[in-house]
Amino acid sequence: MKALVLDDIARSFGGLPAVDGVSLTAPAGRITGLIGPNGAGKTTVVNMITGLLKVTRGRILVGDEDVTEADAPMLARAGVARTFQNIRLIGDASVLDNVVAGFHRHEKVGTLANLLGLPSAVRERRELENKASALLERFGMTGLAKHPAGSLSYGHQRRIEMMRALAMDPAVLLLDEPVAGMNDTEAHSLADIFRSVAQQGVAILLIEHNMRFVMSLCQHIYVLASGQLIAEGDPDAVGQNPKVIEAYLGA
Amino acid sequence: MMSFFNSYTPLLELALFNALLAFSQYVVLRAGVFSLGTAAFAALGAYAAAIMVTKLGMPAWLGLIAAVGLGTVAGALVAVPLARLRGVFQALATLALVQIVLSITLNWVDVTEGALGINSIPKTIGLFGMFCAVAVVTYLMSAMGSTSIGRAFDIIREDETVAVSLGISVPKHHMIAFILSGAIAGLAGGLHAYTSYSITPNEYGFNMLVMVLAMVVLGGRVSVWGPIVGAVVLTALPELLRGLQEYRTVVQGALLMLSIIFLPRGVADTLIGTLRRRRITLASTKAKAVTI
Repeated sequence: MKALVLDDIARSFGGLPAVDGVSLTAPAGRITGLIGPNGAGKTTVVNMITGLLKVTRGRILVGDEDVTEADAPMLARAGVARTFQNIRLIGDASVLDNVVAGFHRHEKVGTLANLLGLPSAVRERRELENKASALLERFGMTGLAKHPAGSLSYGHQRRIEMMRALAMDPAVLLLDEPVAGMNDTEAHSLADIFRSVAQQGVAILLIEHNMRFVMSLCQHIYVLASGQLIAEGDPDAVGQNPKVIEAYLGA
Repeated sequence: MMSFFNSYTPLLELALFNALLAFSQYVVLRAGVFSLGTAAFAALGAYAAAIMVTKLGMPAWLGLIAAVGLGTVAGALVAVPLARLRGVFQALATLALVQIVLSITLNWVDVTEGALGINSIPKTIGLFGMFCAVAVVTYLMSAMGSTSIGRAFDIIREDETVAVSLGISVPKHHMIAFILSGAIAGLAGGLHAYTSYSITPNEYGFNMLVMVLAMVVLGGRVSVWGPIVGAVVLTALPELLRGLQEYRTVVQGALLMLSIIFLPRGVADTLIGTLRRRRITLASTKAKAVTI
């Protein structure tokens, strides 16, 4: 059980601050929301947490581990998984193979055994495929296992990305606008999945533009505007905060 | 039957040699590395094998080990500085490698005999030996393709950001790809030296580089059948078009262009994709029929 902690992180591009001093805690077993209008710096925060961007100031902690300097693969191995705002799957590969890819950090068989196709490598592949099949079943997509991921609907592709992230068995899960472009029914069925993942002890940070969805799902919400936190609290408090209303309505 | 094999032996040997070169190119392209180094690695292998036998009096099997070893080491050494480069910059850097190896083989006359090349190398490898080498490499490539490494290669090629977010180390896999490419091309070069009696520097130049690239683009870069199909087609095509004489290269170029326009994923990958889709639609219509 590990929490994600951001301690006063900042990032500027060519002298212009995109994110300026954000501190937040996403505790294990909870869904924490990070909302903000377009251009608030949400994706910059995600990219800093996942090691795609370096911070110019501050610290990032996963549990007790300081991961501020870690690059993206190291973070993945430390248990940070993410989904992407614009879906990023291997379109030609099957649904099953896309999900199997998520297990990479749990693979134990060495390079040479994989190259030579030794029985241990074959066995590991079969085990991972079984685990991936179990995930497909949980998401109700067993019948689509062999289809190329790129040929499926938007909602299905979102689910595949989610399964791939869950295959990493993460301690921290970052969801970057996971219901963008989905209808309410699809969004609700994903919300149920998010809740059950959080119940297993995963710290979920939900980054969303859609305020209504975040309000219905998160116990604690942080509001980002122009690179700074302008409010935090439970959904009711945040929803009534005049600063938040101003930032969203652009008064 | 025997006479058929006898008269076509050189052509079949060439096709198998080309298949090995194509595998060397395939493995880097599959990992998303735009390396053109295959011709350089093959030259190193060929010269290592030829020098071992003609100058040092070593047995051929030791020469082949030297060829594979030199290719492997060269691949590993190239991978280190190239880890930071991508796409066209990788292509340029590896093109420079081909030029460096070419000028070494041309100018280090004491060892390489310069432009004349090394001649009267005893022919110790026949069709059977070439066939075995291709079979082993095909097996290794298909084993690699269906396990963790091939999967990591595919993800890196398609989307590096996704790869790193899943914990896949890009430098490590680029290194593996370069080492495999070097080892396979080194083996190909060594075998070529032992089947063709002589080697010259210009065989391993720009022509080979373009031909090998064309074979993989034509055949396909994901399935292991891609390089084999590409090598067979581009080895047989010049023979089939022999009647056209000087128009031969024009027709060959035009055919290649057409195949790239209409089958951009390569002959083998397109065919496999089509078959897979057909099987899925067939299975789902069958499933529907059962529920009705």
